[in-house]
Amino acid sequence: MHRFLSRGALLAACVVVSPVALGMLAPDALIAQAATTTARTGTSGSMLIRNATVLTVTKGTLKNTDILVQNGKITGIGTGLTAPAGTTIIDATGKFVMPGIIDPHSHMMSDAVNEGSLSVTSMVRITDVLNPTAVNVYRALAGGVTSANILHGSANTIGGQNATVKLKYGEEASDMLFPGAPPGIKFALGENVTRKNSNTFVIPGQPTPQKRYPTSRMGQEEVLRDAFTRARDYKATWDDYRSKTAKGDKTLLAPRRDLELEPLVEVLEGKRLVHAHSYRADEMLMLLNLADEFGFKIKTLQHGLEGYKIASEIAKLGAGLSTFADSWSYKIEAYDAIPYNVAILMRHGVVATINSDSDERIRRLNIDAAKLMRYGGLTEDEALRTITINGAIQLGVENKVGSIEVGKDADLGIWNAHPLSVYANVDKTIIDGEVFFDRQKDIAMRAEKEKERAELEQADANKAPGATRRGVITPLPEMPQ
Amino acid sequence: MHELVAFAPPKEYYMESMQRRALTGVMAVPILLALTAIPEVLSAQRAVPSTYAITNARIVPVSQPPIEKGTIVIRNGLIASVGANVTVPADARLVDGTGLTVYPGFIDSYGSLGIPSAAQGAGGRGGRGGGGAQAATAATGAANSAYPAGLQPEIRAQELLNPDGDSFTAAHGAGFTSALSAQGAGIFQGTSALINLTDGDVNALVVKPDVAQHIGFTPLRNGGYPNSLMGVFSSLRQILLDAQHYRDEQAAYSRNPRGMQRPEADPSLAALQDVIAGKEPVVMFASSQREIERALDLAKEFGLKPIIAGGSEAYTVAARLKAEGVPVLLSANFPRRTAAPSADADPDPIRVLRERVEAPKSPAKLQAAGVRFALQSGGSNSFNDLIPNVRRAIENGLTTEQAIRSLTLQPAEILGVADRLGSIETGKIANLTISRGDLMTTGRITQLFIDGKPVAMPSPAAAAAAGNNAFSASGTWTLSVNVDGADRTATLSIRQEGTRLSGSLQGMLGSAEIQNGSVGADSTFRFTAPVTLKEGTEEATFSGTFENNALKGRLTIVGHAPGIFSGTRPARGGAPPPRTPPAKPSANR
Repeated sequence: MHRFLSRGALLAACVVVSPVALGMLAPDALIAQAATTTARTGTSGSMLIRNATVLTVTKGTLKNTDILVQNGKITGIGTGLTAPAGTTIIDATGKFVMPGIIDPHSHMMSDAVNEGSLSVTSMVRITDVLNPTAVNVYRALAGGVTSANILHGSANTIGGQNATVKLKYGEEASDMLFPGAPPGIKFALGENVTRKNSNTFVIPGQPTPQKRYPTSRMGQEEVLRDAFTRARDYKATWDDYRSKTAKGDKTLLAPRRDLELEPLVEVLEGKRLVHAHSYRADEMLMLLNLADEFGFKIKTLQHGLEGYKIASEIAKLGAGLSTFADSWSYKIEAYDAIPYNVAILMRHGVVATINSDSDERIRRLNIDAAKLMRYGGLTEDEALRTITINGAIQLGVENKVGSIEVGKDADLGIWNAHPLSVYANVDKTIIDGEVFFDRQKDIAMRAEKEKERAELEQADANKAPGATRRGVITPLPEMPQ
Repeated sequence: MHELVAFAPPKEYYMESMQRRALTGVMAVPILLALTAIPEVLSAQRAVPSTYAITNARIVPVSQPPIEKGTIVIRNGLIASVGANVTVPADARLVDGTGLTVYPGFIDSYGSLGIPSAAQGAGGRGGRGGGGAQAATAATGAANSAYPAGLQPEIRAQELLNPDGDSFTAAHGAGFTSALSAQGAGIFQGTSALINLTDGDVNALVVKPDVAQHIGFTPLRNGGYPNSLMGVFSSLRQILLDAQHYRDEQAAYSRNPRGMQRPEADPSLAALQDVIAGKEPVVMFASSQREIERALDLAKEFGLKPIIAGGSEAYTVAARLKAEGVPVLLSANFPRRTAAPSADADPDPIRVLRERVEAPKSPAKLQAAGVRFALQSGGSNSFNDLIPNVRRAIENGLTTEQAIRSLTLQPAEILGVADRLGSIETGKIANLTISRGDLMTTGRITQLFIDGKPVAMPSPAAAAAAGNNAFSASGTWTLSVNVDGADRTATLSIRQEGTRLSGSLQGMLGSAEIQNGSVGADSTFRFTAPVTLKEGTEEATFSGTFENNALKGRLTIVGHAPGIFSGTRPARGGAPPPRTPPAKPSANR
């Protein structure tokens, strides 16, 4: 029995309007509620997808090709494949299959985003506050997304620990964590940390938030240097304790565990990936050089709108960069952004990706990737890389997802048209060989959910006091003549 | 010769003091004096009767089957004997129980009764608990604490008790004779005390001090660490780790102080020693499925002995609660629509509609799953709804027997006081809740005994008034939000349980559940919600104040200029309000 069945009844899922309905949230009339008990197909992790156009991303595009999935893994790619009896067969004639989209920067399905009180909040963990029932997960599935990097916000120089998830909507939060994904942590530089935009306004009658160190980019560098110096000392204390204990000294009391410094020690040891919110070239260079000095790598520069100015330096220091396709000028530090950023970075050898940073935009990352062909002239495969394999590399899971290859997890999107087309819709989104979004089932569910809503509205607990059982105010009795 | 006491149905005068009774003009039977409250001035001069016999009553002892016609003898605050054939002592005041049903006194197993709201603060700025060297520590609250208010497990409810005249009126109206009381704000909230809800010396009220450590998962509301749910967990984790380290340090020092630097004394960490040893239970407020799972995970991580309070969705985690032997103090404050939604409100999310329908079914589901649970009032603003909601639970499948048990013996067992409270048995404290007729169907409460003394029942009107005085933020609010220079409207559905706010936000800011919500004694509130502005989704912190059916406050989003919001809700049961005028942006933007 699947554990998600009990949760199914609680899920406030929401039908998704077409992923190409740009600029629109789902109108309320369409907010039918999907229960994943019916949105999912029980495939037991095995299926045979027949006769599709397969966009492998890493190994070219294959026409009229079958994909065999067994126990959640891709076990065959070719023509005329056969499956054991009972395996779910999906006829994908005329359809396109691409790897599940990976969003390297999201804040969805999290009951908290910023622990904005301190400059260093490395002790806080997104995994403590994941909300597996967040409807935006389902909406993201409808846009072909299968994995995401759920990040702490950008309020602090050193933010909290991330969660790399597979969007297995309907399952427990613990079952959505990407197995084997290396842990990460959020850093942030620039205006959001200095609170340039939020501390300078006074609202009459409302308390003004206190200023918090640092209020300049100089201060941010000092916060980093101080934190990693403390982490280095902390590591030395523990190394000393461990080596003495290993030599047989049993009298020693273990040092105090410090949850703030432990993850920073992991960064120093290369075990925890740094995802650093940054905009300007100077602050990115500062961070890359500081990391180099302390002997660790920055896995991704997040946003990095001025990355094109220092593309060679970023490539040389081995960082990736994750950005928007075409957002700029929404604040001072975003004024120098250009839509050619990704193309220039990729031409210099930087592993670059497109991210959403938005519960709404996450549904059409395919369109954002397509824009890179217009701005910078990326090839189809290069454009697809920015939302698939490159994201997998940035999250340290490139051996498992990001492309359609034998041996990889069966995280796939089946599209009704080429996914780089504005006319493309997702038919099915598959994770580990299970269907987590099915467009036809979703459409079928809408009427059911409208019916359920109507029934619930009739329940006493949903009636306002004073209303009768029919929801009508009782008229006053007629006055006797 | 017995002094005969007629036991008439309650009238207004039951709540009046003797001095005022002459004015009421309804005093007809002087012998009834004995059962009304004895004014202090008289009780000082006159021996207060200490022996009572309730005869001919239907008795529901809970620990054994009901006695259709029996007698209870009360002496010196304890139950002296109970049964169908009990000899009534000569000195007993007789209570004719014909037509009455006598239950063990109801226990409100979660709340802050008797603790003044001013003592329920979560002040203080900054904090340790994981902040390490960077934290500014300016503790308020407990003296000499290294931690800010809200993270002080050494706080003891017993030391905060200070009930005033009518603190317990509304609770009495619901039939409660005792309650578990804790300072209900913050994260580590300190220990609770089980008290009898009577007047008199504060320390005499205490049935059992330090029943459990209480944990709330709401962030501090003043902006200091932790101000997010993530920080709540990391600070809990760090303090519990520090408590373990403190234990080891102290043990090493007491084994051999020579040559060892004296470890620093820390009252907060000292107060947690029984908690980390799994001896003192931890009452954790958790309502939704994932909140309960997180609480259970934390308990498991540190070997704590958890009790879940709130528990709206506990039935979805029933199998795990049963397997891990975790009891639930289930809120009987079932949500329901309180007023017709205003014309410009968005429809309630289906989740909210469903929650309202499912809530009264949850006690029966917990019963069926074999989870131990008590029913509690769900906050000081919902005493008036307790009995109607218990009846709704029965209509939805809870057995009558279990309903009574969940208000009496079950909480006594969960809270470790079943040796003295929770059932009508010889030798137990004489706390009784008495109704005319069957309270679980149509009867109504006519009399309470607490510590063997009759307690004046408030009139239904007085109980209702006392219950309604407490502000509740629950309801559907129409918000007008000005952020990034644009006006947006949204609908905010709030559910308040104790100091905690949950609910949903939808409209022009996107649709989301609100998180990390709490309201203080001064009506200030804070919650967070993901909002979608243009293309990005950001976490917004809403902080402000409630004033009856209006609210206003400030909205902060990292990287954006702060916004303002205001809102209204329809009066409870009243007509919907006019459309909300848009909030005006600040002049100095």
